[in-house]
Amino acid sequence: MADSSAEPAGASSGSVGSDESSTQIQPIRMPTIEEIRAQEIWNNCAVKSVASGVMGGGLGLMMGLFLGALDNPIMHDTMTARQQFVFTAKQMGQRSWNSCKTFAVMGLVFSAAECIVEKARAKHDTTNTAIAGCVTGGSMSARGGPKAACIGCAGFATFSVLIEKFFDRHT
Amino acid sequence: MASTNPFPEGIAKEQAFSMAQTEMEYRVELFNKLAQTCFNKCVDKRYKEAELNMGENSCIDRCVSKYWQVNGMVGQLLSAGKPPM
Repeated sequence: MADSSAEPAGASSGSVGSDESSTQIQPIRMPTIEEIRAQEIWNNCAVKSVASGVMGGGLGLMMGLFLGALDNPIMHDTMTARQQFVFTAKQMGQRSWNSCKTFAVMGLVFSAAECIVEKARAKHDTTNTAIAGCVTGGSMSARGGPKAACIGCAGFATFSVLIEKFFDRHT
Repeated sequence: MASTNPFPEGIAKEQAFSMAQTEMEYRVELFNKLAQTCFNKCVDKRYKEAELNMGENSCIDRCVSKYWQVNGMVGQLLSAGKPPM
């Protein structure tokens, strides 16, 4: 309690001198009640996983639209241009909806698993990401039997750890 | 004010004031020690981001709860007289 009251005086006097050259050191301010409430909302596992699911769904939609537009057979001898357009649009819509559902489920399961594991362990680690990736990969490829589940688990865990390390380095 | 005397009898005003001062010092010391202990235990010293993430939040919850419980228990044992050995 004694430190935080001495901090703003020192920081504000130190920032006057170096105003032009470098960024100003902001004095310490306690979080407002809205910030605390926002943090409490985002600490909730359900809210976080639903938000991740929605974002995954959006990503899946975009990817499905893009990939669906890329590969579709062009048959100009059986249909007119308008029929071709309608057919292509339906294909794209179907593929993007499937992809949206897959990615939404993947995002939801991953985020929920990571949140639950991190709350239980009370630690912020890459182990949380690996376990969550394993759960996601295993649950998504559980249809192919236990061996496929193991391979899916290992593969998705490795992928998510790599992505996490990549984002940690570049932000 | 004179009818509802908050102090027990026989305690003068200065004595009550010094007792309150001691109590306040004890509380401040408890808070500082608690914050320092739980900060050293729970927060990763690499300071990658400014906000507390979820693992640190639940660690701080558990740390404060345990510290408070231990503090209460030790206080009770000390105030009961000789500690049972």
